Amino acid sequence: MKYKIGLHISIFTAFGWIFFNPDIVLATQTHGGPEGIYAHQIAHLFYILSMGFFIHWLRERKLVEESGWRFIQYAAFFLILWNLDAILVHFIDDQIGLIHWERIGLWHIQITAQNGNNALEILYYFAKLDHLLCVPALFFLYLGLKRLLKTTHSESTKPVEKGNGQ
Amino acid sequence: MMSLPFFPIWLVDIFGSILMIILSFLCLSAAIELKRSDQYSVIWTYLLWLCYGLAAFAISRSAGHILKQHLIFSDRQFVWESIRPYSGAINTLTFVFVGSVTLFFERIWKIHQQVLKDKLSLQSAHEELLLLSQNLESMVAERTESLAVSEQKYRRIFEVSRDMILVSKLNGLILDMNPAGYQMLGYNNSNKDLKHKSFEDFFSDQSDWLTIINTIKKEGFIANYEVNLLGVDDRNRLSLISGSLDRGPVDKDNTVHFLIKDIEQRRFIESQMAQTDKLASIGQLSAGIAHEINNPLGIILGYAQMLMRDEEAKTGRYADLKTIEKHVKNCMSVVEDLLNFARTSKTEKEAIKIHEIIDEALNFIRHHSELYHITIEKDYDKNVPPIMLDEKKMKQVFMNLIMNAKHAVGKSGTIKLSTHYNSLTKQLAVKIADTGYGIEKKNLSRIFDPFFTTKPTGEGTGLGLSVSYGIVKNHGGEILVESAPGKGSTFTVVLTVSLKNREV
Repeated sequence: MKYKIGLHISIFTAFGWIFFNPDIVLATQTHGGPEGIYAHQIAHLFYILSMGFFIHWLRERKLVEESGWRFIQYAAFFLILWNLDAILVHFIDDQIGLIHWERIGLWHIQITAQNGNNALEILYYFAKLDHLLCVPALFFLYLGLKRLLKTTHSESTKPVEKGNGQ
Repeated sequence: MMSLPFFPIWLVDIFGSILMIILSFLCLSAAIELKRSDQYSVIWTYLLWLCYGLAAFAISRSAGHILKQHLIFSDRQFVWESIRPYSGAINTLTFVFVGSVTLFFERIWKIHQQVLKDKLSLQSAHEELLLLSQNLESMVAERTESLAVSEQKYRRIFEVSRDMILVSKLNGLILDMNPAGYQMLGYNNSNKDLKHKSFEDFFSDQSDWLTIINTIKKEGFIANYEVNLLGVDDRNRLSLISGSLDRGPVDKDNTVHFLIKDIEQRRFIESQMAQTDKLASIGQLSAGIAHEINNPLGIILGYAQMLMRDEEAKTGRYADLKTIEKHVKNCMSVVEDLLNFARTSKTEKEAIKIHEIIDEALNFIRHHSELYHITIEKDYDKNVPPIMLDEKKMKQVFMNLIMNAKHAVGKSGTIKLSTHYNSLTKQLAVKIADTGYGIEKKNLSRIFDPFFTTKPTGEGTGLGLSVSYGIVKNHGGEILVESAPGKGSTFTVVLTVSLKNREV
């Protein structure tokens, strides 16, 4: 009993000291650095992984034998490609600043690679056209969903079979 | 450094963004429709959430890109720079959301499969129930009918069985008994209520019941146990009992099913057959001995008579020879009786009236014995036809039986002579009943044995009934006896009147 009372007094004393004697605290980490782009890149990697697992499961369970799930598999595949493309662009552009680009008038841009590599400049130019990957992904997803919907409708409108098979 | 056209980038960005928004909403619409098709499908729920995530991503990213292009073209890129972090952060969140949802796909698929499986089994059970409820009435009627047929079949077995079938509690309380059981226990009415009556009460020896019920409790059954059952008419019936335990849901519902066979008649027939076999064996033995003795006796008698012819009648030698002759004749008479018993002597049958034979035998006894205090009752059937018999031998049979009756009644009593002819079986029964002291049970099986007698030595040879038995058997008939100590005896001679007899 005496031990418990002593413990309570110690806790209250410590709390009072902290409360009435504020000082610099280091509990909250600042994010002035490049955490944002790292978090974004990690999110892309997570996206790739989840889509990879998704394709694996679809194939393992032989769901891809149905056209609906097969189209959804294609969508996942294009999303992986799109994520790789986005990771590349973010890496070149935002992480290491290897490429510098600027507008020249309304209809031209100038791309400058730090190391003067023209191939990297062309790669960057085409990588910027990422919609060519994510639009097909969503298109395949839409096709897949429509197929599933069609299959579901055709199953629900099938004549009901008698339970005993007669 | 490379200068490249901006138009393709702009075009792909603007139109791609618009298409992304359109396609993401088309996907969302399709997913919603899928979800509507089956509200409880977890897989459609998964796809719906995936589409929600992609729609959010499309709006965040594509709207951002369109705005970005618009701001760049209107030379307000600084505005975009202030919006850009928000757009990027939201994009990041949507990636994480879509990725997270997708990682649950496998678990969701398993749940989906389990739900489908349960649904199928539920549907199957539902269909079965539906079928059952639709056909319940006809199924009940069908089952009831088959149950009734089955019940009727087993009821018939129960009803028509010639053996007793009895159901009782373990404590012996009778629950049900078939008509054969009532008959076996001496009941006239098979509808008599035997409730509250214990099967134990019908056992002559209570220890038999205890043995039976203890064996059933221990082994579950008992087979072919011989007991004496005492009927309501106080008559013992030798029975063969088998029983088995029928276990109910609880101990108090246990019942015992008994099958009881009346073996009284069978035992009687068996003992009769044994008696017949015994007498036949004795007969064969006697016949053999008689033949062997008969010839030397004839020679002794011949020589004795030959010697007597040469002797004076009053000499001692003549008297000795006379004694030899007398005893040899006695011996020959015994031998003849034995041959009669063994049925080896030939019968000379002729059509005779049985009542005349009986009366002649009776008259013969009247002349030679004292019958004054003995009442003779006659009850002759007038329908008795003439019958083919050896008159001399049958007269001997009736004389033997009447003499035995006379000895049995002693100085006073009643001898009843009766005949009965059954025209259906063509059998004639001649009964000689007396009111004498009867025959003890232990002697009943031996009375037809040669030389068996209960008379004092010198009063009887013990061949009378044996000879009578042999003669009757030789006529194709049989001789029966009913007797109990103190109640007198009744000898019945049963003879068959054949068609040949009737014609004579």
